[in-house]
Amino acid sequence: MPGQALPPPCTFLNVGQAFTGTQNVSSGQKDEAWKVNVRLQGCDIQKGYLCGSMEALNVPSAETPVVTFWEGEIVDNKNYTFFTGQWDATRDTDVNHWDKFPSFAALKEDVKRDGGRSVDLANYPFMFMRWKEKFFVNVGTDCGLTIAGFYYVCFSRSNGSVNGFYYDPNSSPYQKLELMATNEGRSGYSFATYKFQ
Amino acid sequence: MPASAAWARPEELVESLSSLDNTARLKALRDVKNQIIGNKTKKLSYIKLGAVPRVVEILASDTEVPLLVQSAAAVGSFACGIEAGVKAVLDSGVLPHLLKMLSNGDNKVVEACARSLKMIFQSTLAPKSDMFQGHRMELIIELLNSENDSVAEVAASVLARCCETVDHQRALADAGGLQSLVGLLNGSLKTREAALDALAALTRGNKQLCSTLTCMDQGKSLAMIMKLVKDKSSRTRLLACTCLANIGKASPSSLHQEREIRAGMLSILVKLFDEPGQVGEEAPGVLADLVSNNEDLQKVAMDMNSIEKLAEFLRKDEISPKQLAGVLMALAELCSRFEDSRKQLLDLKVQAPIIAALEHDSVGVRAAACSCIKSLSRSVQNLRTGLTDELLVLPLLKLLSDSSSDIQALALSAVSNIVLDFKPHKAVVFRCGGVSQLIQLSQSMDPILRLNAVWALKNLLYMSDKTVKERVMGELTFNSLVDLIFDSEEKVREQAMALVRNLVYGDVDSVQLALVQDSVLLHAVEKQLHVSTQPEICIQGLYIVSNVAAGNEVHKEAVMDIVIPVTSVGVNRNTSLLMRYLQDMSNPQIRVVALWCVINLTFPNSPGVSSRISRLRDGGIEAQLQSMVDDPCLDVKDRAKTALEHFSAVEVHSR
Repeated sequence: MPGQALPPPCTFLNVGQAFTGTQNVSSGQKDEAWKVNVRLQGCDIQKGYLCGSMEALNVPSAETPVVTFWEGEIVDNKNYTFFTGQWDATRDTDVNHWDKFPSFAALKEDVKRDGGRSVDLANYPFMFMRWKEKFFVNVGTDCGLTIAGFYYVCFSRSNGSVNGFYYDPNSSPYQKLELMATNEGRSGYSFATYKFQ
Repeated sequence: MPASAAWARPEELVESLSSLDNTARLKALRDVKNQIIGNKTKKLSYIKLGAVPRVVEILASDTEVPLLVQSAAAVGSFACGIEAGVKAVLDSGVLPHLLKMLSNGDNKVVEACARSLKMIFQSTLAPKSDMFQGHRMELIIELLNSENDSVAEVAASVLARCCETVDHQRALADAGGLQSLVGLLNGSLKTREAALDALAALTRGNKQLCSTLTCMDQGKSLAMIMKLVKDKSSRTRLLACTCLANIGKASPSSLHQEREIRAGMLSILVKLFDEPGQVGEEAPGVLADLVSNNEDLQKVAMDMNSIEKLAEFLRKDEISPKQLAGVLMALAELCSRFEDSRKQLLDLKVQAPIIAALEHDSVGVRAAACSCIKSLSRSVQNLRTGLTDELLVLPLLKLLSDSSSDIQALALSAVSNIVLDFKPHKAVVFRCGGVSQLIQLSQSMDPILRLNAVWALKNLLYMSDKTVKERVMGELTFNSLVDLIFDSEEKVREQAMALVRNLVYGDVDSVQLALVQDSVLLHAVEKQLHVSTQPEICIQGLYIVSNVAAGNEVHKEAVMDIVIPVTSVGVNRNTSLLMRYLQDMSNPQIRVVALWCVINLTFPNSPGVSSRISRLRDGGIEAQLQSMVDDPCLDVKDRAKTALEHFSAVEVHSR
């Protein structure tokens, strides 16, 4: 996919940035929500890569907070497209999940036609991503939560909000993740930095 | 009659080497030569008896062909396979005589001298820069054009061995070496291989000579080398790949249209891994050079399963240092950019031999092991899942005091990654004594070591807790940090600023570190913001003041006094630091961070916000913000809007 410009940097995607919010499970049988904290630990726009930790607090089925490590793919039409192509997600699954985000409406027809390869994502106010949890950091796999699926994510460049829908054929559909960039209670935003050698 | 009975006693034989009688000298020479061939003990005992200077003397002053041939052959024998022999012949000053004799009219003399030179130049003791003194280089280059194939061959192999620096490469090229070597590619197998070997030495890391070679004879020379990649001889294939790898590394696009050729070279090299001897030994290192800085080829190499093949070598009990270094370098290159490669290598469970290689006797192996660890540790996931184990950290930290400063620098860059364990307390590196070492190295006279040490300390402080910050600053001291902020090296200054940024990141206690000791850090940063013309340094400086502005009222006011000071005539419109950076059109990131600074200074619900806002307004900042909502950079636009919201909130509030 040559010729596609990469998305320009956004300060809310700086390493160390924290996000906080909730995850909701609403289905016929249950209606649950728990608090979620996310911290970005790595971001490489060139490779369309990001990663971080996700902490789920007061999960009804878990005894302690559950921390996972996740890796993300940025849909940039260079490294990754709207089509997932793995994790049991079909193109229909993809479109149905992306379609849950209002900001996707303007792109929907293009994506259905050719995967949205010609869409200029570099100048779009929202960034679409997939976040896939890789392993549990502090608990075993018997903690009452699963990491089998992944999140379709829509990130707002303007205010750092994150919306996500979890997809796992074996879990309740469309579990919703809602996060906001946070300054962690400080009276301003501060930014840490590291760089690999 | 046993053979030994025919020989005189060694002492007498040595005496006879200086006999005035030509026949006696010749006989003594033959006898000595025959005794020492393949016999280390005999070589050593004749060296002790002082035979070598006498042999060399014959070469220097005799004119009879048989004497010259025999003395040259004896010199070669002494120098063959034993370092003490090489040292003895070199100490006797044989080199100029051997070189001179290469122009002798008699072919047998020339060939014997050529063979001896080759022996000498196979040793690591062989003189290198010596060969560039006086007219020696011109002589050797002349010999490249010799009618005699073995002379040309030896001249090329001497060049291959002694060309080590950019100055050597330039001197050789200026004297016409490149052209002559290319001419030898049509010669016999041995000559061709010696010529390729020399061409590889001449082009290694030399952009200019690579491009000269590429363009030579309208690309015909290059085409010839490309053809040799598929030669019958495995050594020719390897050496041709080496030359092309050099060319590809120096100017990645020069072979761009021949992507298939390079991919083809990769598969040739991978097959050469299994060759016995020198070829198999050197092939991994050539692969490392070939894929260096070339993501495209790294992917191709991964698809050829080369990571697994290379890792196999690490499981072998016996592997030569040269091969081990090559294997580790190749793995380092293949894992430098791709997370998938790192995962693949770690899944192969060869960490133990890589870690063991950190303590290898050979400098080359230690360097390659450091590079490999450095590549593997360029991954958040790997750092979170085991690469920060003491088993690895301890031997790596040991290399920070290695006798080679190159190793120290490499180890430091690996440590820079390793200290990012994404745990706030950084316990392992403290427990292993690493922090003190880093602080000491940050005061090194060597700019590379200083840079890498400050880089590592910056990474160490990333999201670290209060104890870590206190311990680092207790040992580093604020004054030394200020010195680093004003270091003579630009890159060190940038890293020192980034270090301060991490130091003052976080809660109020962290921010307060900018103000201790009469705000020594903040003053230093202020000065850099005034004088620096380097965008990278300015960006770090702006992040520092922005982080400080996220603190309490005192901190915010301290930042106000820097970025928009009040003078005796009031706030200076349009000349403040803040205005200067908000208007900086050279780099959008500068404007973004300057905007974050405004956002933090005007953060809602802090007690002094309305007075700060009116001062910023007086300084023309609000008007500037209004002009920035149409900025070409998306991030600038969004942050300008947020800042303006802060201004209008206070306006509403005060009415």
